[in-house]
Amino acid sequence: MFLSFSEWCNGLAISQAYQKSLYLFAVTQSLHLVAVTIFVGAIVIGDLRLLGWGPVGQPRAAIARSAQRILLWAGLAVLVTGIPQFMTNALDYQRSPLFAFKMCLLAVALVFTATLRRRVALADEGRLPSWVPRAVGAVSFALWMGVTVSGRLITFYG
Amino acid sequence: MPSIVPTLTWLEGLGWTTAIRESPWGYPLIETSHVASIVAFAGIVIMMDLRLVGLAFTHAPLALIQRRLFPWQMAGLVPSMATGVLLCCVDPLRYYRSMFFWIKLLLMALAGVNALAFHLKTYQRADRWDEDPQAAATARLAGAVSLVLWSATIVTGRLIPYNWFN
Repeated sequence: MFLSFSEWCNGLAISQAYQKSLYLFAVTQSLHLVAVTIFVGAIVIGDLRLLGWGPVGQPRAAIARSAQRILLWAGLAVLVTGIPQFMTNALDYQRSPLFAFKMCLLAVALVFTATLRRRVALADEGRLPSWVPRAVGAVSFALWMGVTVSGRLITFYG
Repeated sequence: MPSIVPTLTWLEGLGWTTAIRESPWGYPLIETSHVASIVAFAGIVIMMDLRLVGLAFTHAPLALIQRRLFPWQMAGLVPSMATGVLLCCVDPLRYYRSMFFWIKLLLMALAGVNALAFHLKTYQRADRWDEDPQAAATARLAGAVSLVLWSATIVTGRLIPYNWFN
């Protein structure tokens, strides 16, 4: 089923345009990395605060709310620049264990960020034992760096 | 002017640079570490810039954001510089011939000058607008310039594998 979906993606006009163009894929790839950097920056500032190392003079919830807007816009940009890359190389990606690993890790990171991390970041600071936000910050950082690293490794190991 | 090419050819021919270049893991792992540390470093810089231009974290005093994030910014910069220098040693002629590599270096130098000018001049008068959601116009300009320069640095860095100008 995934193979026929990949073949369908590969045959789309947008994929053909990307395959024929010398510049389109490279430029999209570069903008994708800028969007990823902004997204990870917003994650890292929240994670540092959760770990008790970043802007500790500010409430966790205030940092999280401000970072949330950046996450939404940067996340949208990551998606918009990521989809054409996938569609152009869908046939290669459907055979790539690293791509599958990155997507699984991404799904876990997204669910973790939208549920547990968000609840902990917005919770009253005195209500939780100090190890809880620290653990959540550490897991979040590890997950998102894992997504970034595995995404980059696809270039080398397919 | 003497050419740098013989020195780069010598560097490329050294045992350890050849070993890393030809290893199936050496170059990819260093390159991936470089990208991961740049993403962390530039991500933090961009968050500080967004505070400067007044688009995020405006509830927090600027000095607090600057002071508390600076060590983490450096923690990202050091490994990204170290891995960057290592990549240049491993494959020096490739980088030497890449137009995007030189543009990236120029953009990084400009970003460094912008950051230095901000810290030495504009930031010295920060106590007047430190807690304001909107920083002084010169500070907002420094933030906007930094945002553009670091984004362009990332773009040109990612374009290095493409040799459109050669």
